Amino acid sequence: MSDLRDFEGEIDRLLTRLEKRSAYADIMAQSAQGQSVRMDRQSTRPASEPRFQGAAVRVWAGTKWVEAATSDLSPAGLEVVADSLEGALESDAVRSEPPGPSSTTAATSLTDPPHPVSELGVEGMLKLARDVRGWVTQVPSIRDAIVNLAWTDEQRLFVNTVGARCYQSVMRVRGTVAAVAVENGKVEFDFLSEGGVGGVEQLDFLTEPHAKEIAESARELLAASTPPTGEMTVLLDPGVAGIFAHESFGHGTEADQFVRDRSYLKPILGEVLGPESLTIVDNGAYPGGWGTIYYDDEGNLGQRTVLVDKGRFVGALHDRETAAALHAKPTGNTRRADFVSRPFVRMTNTYVEPGDWSKEELLKEAKNGVLLEHATSGIEDPLGGQMQLKVKKGHRIENGEVTGLVTSMALSGRVLDFLRAIRGVSDQSDFIISPGFCGKGHSDILPAGTGGPYLLSTAVVGPA
Amino acid sequence: MTPDTAPNPLAHRVAEAIRTPAPWEVFAERLRRYEIHFNGRVVEVLRGPLVVEGYGVRLFRPNGEAIGTGFQASTDSTPSGIAQVVSDAEAIAARSTFPAKAVNLPSGAAAKADSSQILDTKLWAAPIPRMEEYLQQLLAPFDRLKDVVPSFGSTRATLTETSLANSSGLRTQYAHTTITIELALKAFGGAEGAPPGEYWVNDQVRRLDPAHAGDRVADWAQFAQDARRAKAPPTGELPVVLPAEVLATILPSVMGFRFSGLSRLRQIAPEAGSAVAAPGLTVYDDGTIPWAPNSAPYDDEGTATGRRTLVKDGAASELLYDLLHAGAFSSRPTGNGLRGLTFGTRDWMRFAHDPGLGPTTLDVPAGSGGSDAELAEVAGDGIWVQQLGWASPDGLSGAFGGEVRIGYRIRGGKLAEPVRGGTVGGVVLAPPGTPSMLSSVAALGSKVELCDSLRSPTMLVKPLTVAGA
Repeated sequence: MSDLRDFEGEIDRLLTRLEKRSAYADIMAQSAQGQSVRMDRQSTRPASEPRFQGAAVRVWAGTKWVEAATSDLSPAGLEVVADSLEGALESDAVRSEPPGPSSTTAATSLTDPPHPVSELGVEGMLKLARDVRGWVTQVPSIRDAIVNLAWTDEQRLFVNTVGARCYQSVMRVRGTVAAVAVENGKVEFDFLSEGGVGGVEQLDFLTEPHAKEIAESARELLAASTPPTGEMTVLLDPGVAGIFAHESFGHGTEADQFVRDRSYLKPILGEVLGPESLTIVDNGAYPGGWGTIYYDDEGNLGQRTVLVDKGRFVGALHDRETAAALHAKPTGNTRRADFVSRPFVRMTNTYVEPGDWSKEELLKEAKNGVLLEHATSGIEDPLGGQMQLKVKKGHRIENGEVTGLVTSMALSGRVLDFLRAIRGVSDQSDFIISPGFCGKGHSDILPAGTGGPYLLSTAVVGPA
Repeated sequence: MTPDTAPNPLAHRVAEAIRTPAPWEVFAERLRRYEIHFNGRVVEVLRGPLVVEGYGVRLFRPNGEAIGTGFQASTDSTPSGIAQVVSDAEAIAARSTFPAKAVNLPSGAAAKADSSQILDTKLWAAPIPRMEEYLQQLLAPFDRLKDVVPSFGSTRATLTETSLANSSGLRTQYAHTTITIELALKAFGGAEGAPPGEYWVNDQVRRLDPAHAGDRVADWAQFAQDARRAKAPPTGELPVVLPAEVLATILPSVMGFRFSGLSRLRQIAPEAGSAVAAPGLTVYDDGTIPWAPNSAPYDDEGTATGRRTLVKDGAASELLYDLLHAGAFSSRPTGNGLRGLTFGTRDWMRFAHDPGLGPTTLDVPAGSGGSDAELAEVAGDGIWVQQLGWASPDGLSGAFGGEVRIGYRIRGGKLAEPVRGGTVGGVVLAPPGTPSMLSSVAALGSKVELCDSLRSPTMLVKPLTVAGA
């Protein structure tokens, strides 16, 4: 794909034209390239990221934003966008400023990994996928191993009428392995998924021991019992703790929900909600995190924002409008899923910071309960203050020991009750950031990292 | 000129420019999107036109005893852009293998497909005014409601010109409209001091009908109010009643996977004739249901859509195939080659995705269980689930489950107090002789409702696992 900076002249001309009609306009241009390989029992499917580019243009209309977008970055295509935006504006020029501070950041950032994906190439990706499949399928009862390897290099260029000009190229690399076990008509699977911003080193987790461990787990799930049902002590593995952070405090602190009076958290900002061992942050600047961005789509730097500090609820995530409405500063969390999507307040990498317990100490503290492992999904409830987390498997905890394997589960509960019941958080040695995708409601899907160490609390669980 | 007869649409133009050997296909879209986002009754953002024009080229090459497929998509339809896409696709096909013996592309003369029941002509002619009229009618009933307000929402209308072409001579096009409606209702007030309650509506439809926009607002308002006083459901194996809007989040993804060539390749598809559901339960896949979001005259590979029987009176019947899986089993494609099936980015831009195999609309005929009240009476003592957080069904294991966002206790055969929280879960399909949701369907309601990719009556399942207080 073209370097988006090749279009800067046309973009500047478009903004100069719009500047005559409004006090503020901005543009986010996007393009991407990438490669993926999907391999299973029957097929090998390499693929390329679509040759996809376009731009979203936004103008302040005095009381609301008007936006248009196009996949045609030619002068003629951008003219059509300008025409439609001018048609949507009032006849008189808008001289009022939009709410919140406008970025004036001018900078460039490119992912510069120690091992670029070019070192691997398509043939290298195919070989790695074949190796992983081979390791997984050596385990008895494994019917299939599905391997997905992918990288994308996404360019974004943000320019506004007050001086911001942010160009970034973000390289994301991800690997996923699913082992499918079948016996007597029963089908089960387990999976492994890691990735982040960087290069080939993000795939270092794809080793023979890890692949075989997942295969063994899938096979064992065929004979696993159903999980216990009801309210009990729950130990979340690091991936599940990350989904907890995302669904409970991530969505709940997206400050557009505050402005809508749709967050159960808004009235309790500043209060102590959990133990001192609990700190939750969103961090767009986390090195190598899956959700890491250098700049957001309003030209603010990706940055670390503390949401819960030692148990006290202290912060929220802001774009320019919510910052203006709530007397705060933008936090670098304005994100468009793509150039056609609206900018919203969104998370980047949201995680529970490590505490000082060991996993073994948490198990002893739990005494009896269930360990939830391998998060598959979650969903928020910003107004009602509930959360739902789902996991692929778990183990019973009996007398402080990990015992029988159990099948997939859903955890449900009130976030504030869950926080109050937290009894410990494990240390840095367990900490991970996992790759995932997040929607705003049911759409606008974008990459978001979630993470944490082990976390011990109480909740309702049931089969799912 | 109607929108589905535009001269020389994009796929046909790209096909003219392709100089690579057969077989190949082109799928193209010109998308215009308009959005109104509102907070309360105040418009926050007016968006559109958001114009994306793009295409995907897939080609098929022999690769040993298998077939290699290469796909690439682009928004660049210049001659050099098309040449680059074909070059990318050839490079991919050379490294790709799929166990098909042959791929027989659909053929057909240049033709205008029938868009009459997937295209809202009034919306097409004037998208923003039509959406504004719809929103006005949607929000009007709130004037008569006490202590319930529209919290926020959006209407997103996509006007799509789809065109297809392939090396077997197929040239066709059709136009369609898709609208997503999001509305959150908030209930508050009263002396009891309970926190606000919310009911969140997400709907996908083919046409806007302003005259009936507000028909269900009173029901939704009641759900929001009931959420304020709801308690956790009980724990146990209980009769559970699931209306179509909940079933739509569970059945299509599991059944669409298990009753397809995808599962047959993995040797986990149900044997034809095997008992997979309760007697009396029949399930079709039907890509021709008028105004269903997934209906179209052709699937995304150019195969005419149709109606297939997946389950007949509780027994497994047909499987679904796209071109590749049909080629693997010497079967005929069933019109289920669809693009943009996976959860992820750009899911509404189908041209950016190569075809996969999936269900169109699952169609479950009505039963003799009667009205909702009669189903509750048969349930006796259980719960009615009105909305789940996210059932996130898993096609491989068949497991599903989610948090109850709002539901009702059923006591003595009648709907009683609201419930919220806890989880409901189970397994949609299980090996013969093992209990599953489908084998435990005890009654089907007498009225069907179309919700997203499912048309179904309300189902009574005895039992499912409920984890609550």
